[in-house]
Amino acid sequence: MSENYEYILKTEHVSKHFGKLEVLKDINLSVKKGEVICIIGPSGAGKSTFLRSLNQLEKITSGKIFIRDELFLHREKDHTVDRLPHEKQQELLLEMGMVFQRFNLFPHMTVLQNVYEAPVVVRKKKKEEGKAHAMELLTRVGLADKADEYPSRLSGGQQQRVAIARALAMNPEIMLFDEPTSALDPELVGDVLNVMKELADDGMTMLVVTHEMGFAREVADRVLFMADGIIAEEGTPEQIFTNPQVERTKSFLNAVLEA
Amino acid sequence: MKFLKKYKKPIIVIAIIVVVVIVLGALKPTEQEMLSCASPEMQKMIREDATRTRKRVTVTYESLIVVNYLSLSTSGAQEISEHYVGFVRNVYPADEGPMKVVGQMVNYTYRMLGCGENLMHGAKLTILLTTLTVIFGLLLGTVLALGKISKNKILSGISSGYIFFFRGTPLLIQLFVVYFTVPGIFGFAWRDIFPASDAEAVYKGAFTAALIAFALNSGAYCAEIVRSAIQSIDKGQYEAAKALGMTYGQTMGLIIVPQSIRRMIPNVSNEFIMILKDASLVFAISLMDITTISKNIMTSEGSYLVFIPALVIYLVITAFFGFIFNKIEKRFSVYE
Repeated sequence: MSENYEYILKTEHVSKHFGKLEVLKDINLSVKKGEVICIIGPSGAGKSTFLRSLNQLEKITSGKIFIRDELFLHREKDHTVDRLPHEKQQELLLEMGMVFQRFNLFPHMTVLQNVYEAPVVVRKKKKEEGKAHAMELLTRVGLADKADEYPSRLSGGQQQRVAIARALAMNPEIMLFDEPTSALDPELVGDVLNVMKELADDGMTMLVVTHEMGFAREVADRVLFMADGIIAEEGTPEQIFTNPQVERTKSFLNAVLEA
Repeated sequence: MKFLKKYKKPIIVIAIIVVVVIVLGALKPTEQEMLSCASPEMQKMIREDATRTRKRVTVTYESLIVVNYLSLSTSGAQEISEHYVGFVRNVYPADEGPMKVVGQMVNYTYRMLGCGENLMHGAKLTILLTTLTVIFGLLLGTVLALGKISKNKILSGISSGYIFFFRGTPLLIQLFVVYFTVPGIFGFAWRDIFPASDAEAVYKGAFTAALIAFALNSGAYCAEIVRSAIQSIDKGQYEAAKALGMTYGQTMGLIIVPQSIRRMIPNVSNEFIMILKDASLVFAISLMDITTISKNIMTSEGSYLVFIPALVIYLVITAFFGFIFNKIEKRFSVYE
């Protein structure tokens, strides 16, 4: 696989309709390797839908998605115009790890098994190797002692850290976070954000949909403000938080930061 | 050790029951002891019978866990019969009064349980048929359920049609179709699938037909059980599996189905009990299950009381399997 690419991920004119409802309108985004991008905005803005479109949990209505400069998918009016062969697509999708708002851990597996299952069955790793790597990752998120517990015994924050370890176990190049702390009790948010910060410091490419303005401000290289299905404003955290240009951004930030 | 601690109470109860049964069983009179209580007249005839080729006395000795039943009857001009019940070192005459009823109950229960017969008689037949039906029904049901929820229109059409058909027609008619119509059309007989030398070929053939009819029917019901269990699994589980790169097969086999099993158990337990009761329909093709035997006793001996032990036997079997399914459910709930 070639390592000489300009953008690890790029979208051109991506839009998405749910029936008559237009959730995404002409989204253009380019992500360089190692970049941390936070997507903020009011609910219903299409942030989650956009993230989910990237790893094909939602099918876009039209637009182009590039991964490592290769045209991954091109659709127009709900029809696929061009795409990579299926196997190649699968391979590239493995480079995207996803962390969900509601964790979605597998409840019938222990924490350790949650982490090593996919590497073993999908990446065809040896079980022993998978377990060892899983243990390493659990140590990294501070949950090595919970390896043999079932997820239901863990707090929300611990479950989310397991979910991050699970996504990392596939060795993705880019991590997508879909409101990873929105379902958590306030006192549990910090642990998860710390894990994410460490990831960012290690150079992981990250796309984070979040309502944690403090996190976005501190960790992001770039902040996107989405509203009504478009990227209304884009810039460094500095620009967006201290000197927003668009009226919609200003009112949103006022409402959020005052609360 | 952990196991012992967890199930302390039931283990103690079961242990006490087992000990009591073993003690009572050991104390029950032997056949010889029972025979020695018979009238001198009857004893004389039995002794003489030993050297005769044509016996005059029919001796029926039935031993049922803790009680014995001995029935002696002669044929011929002056028919005489004697009945005895043996319990804890005592032999009670059972020719009249309450002991007669006790004796009959022991005798009927013995016959309805299928004691002294092979696996395909009485309660053993009912349990065997029900268990095999549920196993095959679940396998078929899983295939049908996956078919029904699949995006392939042909597969889901076939599955839906199958389920519609088998749930929309009576089981008894389905049994008749498998037993009479299918061999009629294709020109074979159910007994022919067993070697002609097998004395029970006809009977085994009927059992096979019953099992096929029941499994086909149960498959339709199990399909709905499996389907609703699968569809009750959170959508997020599919998404997580997909995001990790699992194929549809891996997702179903490793993530969705194992979680569904836990949710299926109460409904499977229900289905099991339904089949257990529906199994009484095999009386229509002359299989000797609890129902058939009780009805035969009613017809030949005119004993209207026979249906009461029949009910008790069904109830005991239901309670036993209900208990087993309960334990299985607990077992599968470790992660909740």
